Amino acid sequence: MSEPADRPKPSPVFHEKRTYRQRRLMDAARLAPILALLLWLLPLIWPQSGDARVSSAAALIYIFAVWAGVIVLTFGLSRALGSRMEDDPGSDP
Amino acid sequence: MTTLNILVAVCGAYVLFLFAVAFAADRIALQGHKAWLRSPLIYTLSLSIYCTAWTFYGAVGSAARNGFEYLTIYLGPTLVMVSWWWLLRKLIRIGRTQKITSIADLISSRYGKSSLLAAGVTILAVIGTTPYIALQLQSVTLSFSVFAAEAHDRTPERLESFALWLSLGLALFTVLFGTRNLDAKERHDGVVMAIAVEAVVKLVALLSVGIFVVWGVSGGVSEALSRIDASEFGQWQTDRSRWAGLIFLSAAAFLCLPRTFQVLVVENDDESHLRTASWAFPLYLGLMSLFVVPIAVVGLDLMPDGSNPDLFVLTIPLALGENGLAMLSFLGGFSSATSMVIVAAIALSTMVSNHIVMPIWLRVSSTGASVSGDVRNAVLMARRISIVAVVMLGYLYYRMSSGGEALATIGLVAFCGLAQVLPAMLGGMFWRGATWLGAFAGLTAGFGTWLYTLYLPSFGVGTVLPVSVVENGLFGLAWLRPYALFGIEGLDPLMHSVLWSIAFNVLAFLTVSLVTFPSPIERLQAAQFVNIFEHSGSKRRWSGGVAQTEDLMVMAQRILGAPEAQALFSAHARKQGVRGDLPDPTPDFLEVLERELGSSVGAATAHAMVGQITGGMAVSVEDLMAVADETAQMLEYSAELKEKSEELSRTALELRNANQKLTRLSIQKDAFLSQISHELRTPMTSIRAFSEILRDTDEMGPEDQSRYASIIHDEAQRLTRLLDDLLDLSVIENGQVNLNLRDGLLKDALDRAVSSAAIGEDGAQLEIQRDALKEDISLFTDLDRLSQVFINLIANARKYCDADAPRLVIRVMQETDRVVIDFQDNGSGISAEAADMIFEKFARVSDQKAGGAGLGLAICRQVMTRLGGSVDFIPTKSGTTFRVVLPYRLAMAAQ
Repeated sequence: MSEPADRPKPSPVFHEKRTYRQRRLMDAARLAPILALLLWLLPLIWPQSGDARVSSAAALIYIFAVWAGVIVLTFGLSRALGSRMEDDPGSDP
Repeated sequence: MTTLNILVAVCGAYVLFLFAVAFAADRIALQGHKAWLRSPLIYTLSLSIYCTAWTFYGAVGSAARNGFEYLTIYLGPTLVMVSWWWLLRKLIRIGRTQKITSIADLISSRYGKSSLLAAGVTILAVIGTTPYIALQLQSVTLSFSVFAAEAHDRTPERLESFALWLSLGLALFTVLFGTRNLDAKERHDGVVMAIAVEAVVKLVALLSVGIFVVWGVSGGVSEALSRIDASEFGQWQTDRSRWAGLIFLSAAAFLCLPRTFQVLVVENDDESHLRTASWAFPLYLGLMSLFVVPIAVVGLDLMPDGSNPDLFVLTIPLALGENGLAMLSFLGGFSSATSMVIVAAIALSTMVSNHIVMPIWLRVSSTGASVSGDVRNAVLMARRISIVAVVMLGYLYYRMSSGGEALATIGLVAFCGLAQVLPAMLGGMFWRGATWLGAFAGLTAGFGTWLYTLYLPSFGVGTVLPVSVVENGLFGLAWLRPYALFGIEGLDPLMHSVLWSIAFNVLAFLTVSLVTFPSPIERLQAAQFVNIFEHSGSKRRWSGGVAQTEDLMVMAQRILGAPEAQALFSAHARKQGVRGDLPDPTPDFLEVLERELGSSVGAATAHAMVGQITGGMAVSVEDLMAVADETAQMLEYSAELKEKSEELSRTALELRNANQKLTRLSIQKDAFLSQISHELRTPMTSIRAFSEILRDTDEMGPEDQSRYASIIHDEAQRLTRLLDDLLDLSVIENGQVNLNLRDGLLKDALDRAVSSAAIGEDGAQLEIQRDALKEDISLFTDLDRLSQVFINLIANARKYCDADAPRLVIRVMQETDRVVIDFQDNGSGISAEAADMIFEKFARVSDQKAGGAGLGLAICRQVMTRLGGSVDFIPTKSGTTFRVVLPYRLAMAAQ
């Protein structure tokens, strides 16, 4: 009549430093797409007429620079979160 | 002509190569070396199914026409991939846990396994995908025509026959590798491998053309950039609503397109592959789009006016005499088109066969799904027919639209149509309150709006929708104009449709979900989907067939007990004529099993458990197993407890009885002791008193002396008799007496008893009646002891019979196996209460006639027990009757 081993334990209020860091990493992973979206929506407020128009080359460089940044960020996050994927559901409230 | 022939040859070789790759991959998978086939790299590359020929050729065309807008098509999926942690991981986990086979299955499964929703999404997918397939055929024939034009051989018949042969070839490939196995999890190793190879080919092709354009034509990066600035779209210029709207649309499409869902969720073998894909696929998309603008700019510069910008990727190398590069580019486009058609056909055929054909087939066919092989063949056949039908539908669409401009925009139109699934999908994944009716309402509203404002007008004004409707609105209502709902004009038609259809969709979905109440299965599924990480481990799979029966067996053993379960299963296996001990999970067998289990765990639980293992995915099997285990343990434990407590109470009862007996014995012992001391004391008192008188009285006459001496003598005799009796009783009771068994006649024993007991010391006479003839029975027993019993009985009758003329009747009766001797007097008898007592020691019926110590009958009973017989008091109407029973066995032994 022992407790089933896989019954979810109530999560503690405070976490160890390591766990805390992991949770903030998960937050970062959730926020990353929002950051990317904001950066890619930025061209919406670029002026489309007059002298201050952005040159195509600059626009191209900006968008691909953001792209590269997003790839690097996601790469880093996926590496950091990799170990968490198998052992922890990671769906904290 | 040579180029064209070479092209056909290369094309054929490439197709053969793809067949070989797919075949080899399937073989390797069959041999079990899946690890190599299912690497994160292959998974990432297979996601490139999103990039079709439309993006391969069309992106450059779009850039040449609309500037940077083409980027949105890649930015949307990139954002989705970056959202892997909270979105895709959950989607894939749901797909794996719930054994999702397609997007229609996902929606249906989430909303209470609704077949209506599944069929609806399937129809939506077919409508949205068919034009897309047509688009692929068009792009390939178009690119083919470029080479044909080079070779001055541009006959439409050849092109059309080429499109037809292409369609047939694709259908054949898909049937061959797409319907090889019918796994519960729809995985196609060969197809995925071929797609991965094609993904590499199209990336290499586009990069080669891009590098050639930037470094070969423009002369370097900075020159290319300045060339862009100098071109006609040198400044940032884009439609803002389309920029934002298309990012959303492409993101939605990436999630909802049947083919991307197929590779993203269904073909996923390992969740951890997502980790790699989360950054690798954005990288792939980035590389695919990197050189699009330079190619477009160079194409606009180099190519004559009026040339099709959609084909710049091909025509630039051709124009510059780079035939090899052009060939590679053609193969890139060919790869994009073919992989899209193959995967779309697989995904659609799964949906069509599972959600449209099979439900109808099962309903129509009278036998039902009782024979498993039947269903299997039917499903495979349905799939094959569906694949051919889907590809041919695309071909027909291509022929009917005759390759016009309408096709070019159909890609985004299809995106918008399939994006209607998104609210129901995301709502189902993240909101437990989403209901079946809500999803249905949302899909209907969104689909309807899309149909009216985008799809039907896309065929061209005046073909499906009359001109009057487009200009004046439906029924002449101006606010119902398809391009300006509610009178809002000036929007881009695509964005107009996206805005309204998604708005209506979400509104209907949310409103109806809020006001309706979900069915139990829906609520269960909602909890499963939304809290998927709490309900599932990552490595959990059940396969069908015999494994199912094994699972059932395991479960049944846990609940019914191993021998019972094995007996049940093997009995049914024999009944079904199946070899071995595992029967097929037929409905009959399941019903029996469910009943059996139901008797242990309750009908509802049993139903859930059996349904769980045989197909229903409502609750995770492991959970139920745990419940069953626990229940079985508890049942066992409580049964044990019950048994133990029964044992305890039995022991307690025995102890209580023993205690009572001991107490009774103790009381008896006390009573016996006080009785015996009293009995001993009475004669001793008189002996002492009279002996004192004799000693102390000097002047006493001899008469007195003699009287007192005789009293002392009498009392001493009485005392001796009492002690003799006690000794006798003790000896008999302890079983230490030696019986002196010998032959003799009952008559003699009675004679001796009568002569010694009939006349008392006080001379009281007792008349005794006997029947001498009947007493003539020879016995083999202890005659002295028997006489002792008779003497006691006769003496008692003499002492206690209170009749005026006391009389005793001795009757002897010979029965089959015993001799019965009754002693009946004519006195007033003994009361019922006293009758219980008379055989106890020191029991006397009345004190006034205290003649003896009250041990006589007790001794009699002990003696008779020793002799194998009994002496009892028989209640009669008049007088007192004692019955002595002597077993005939002893009597017989005398003869």
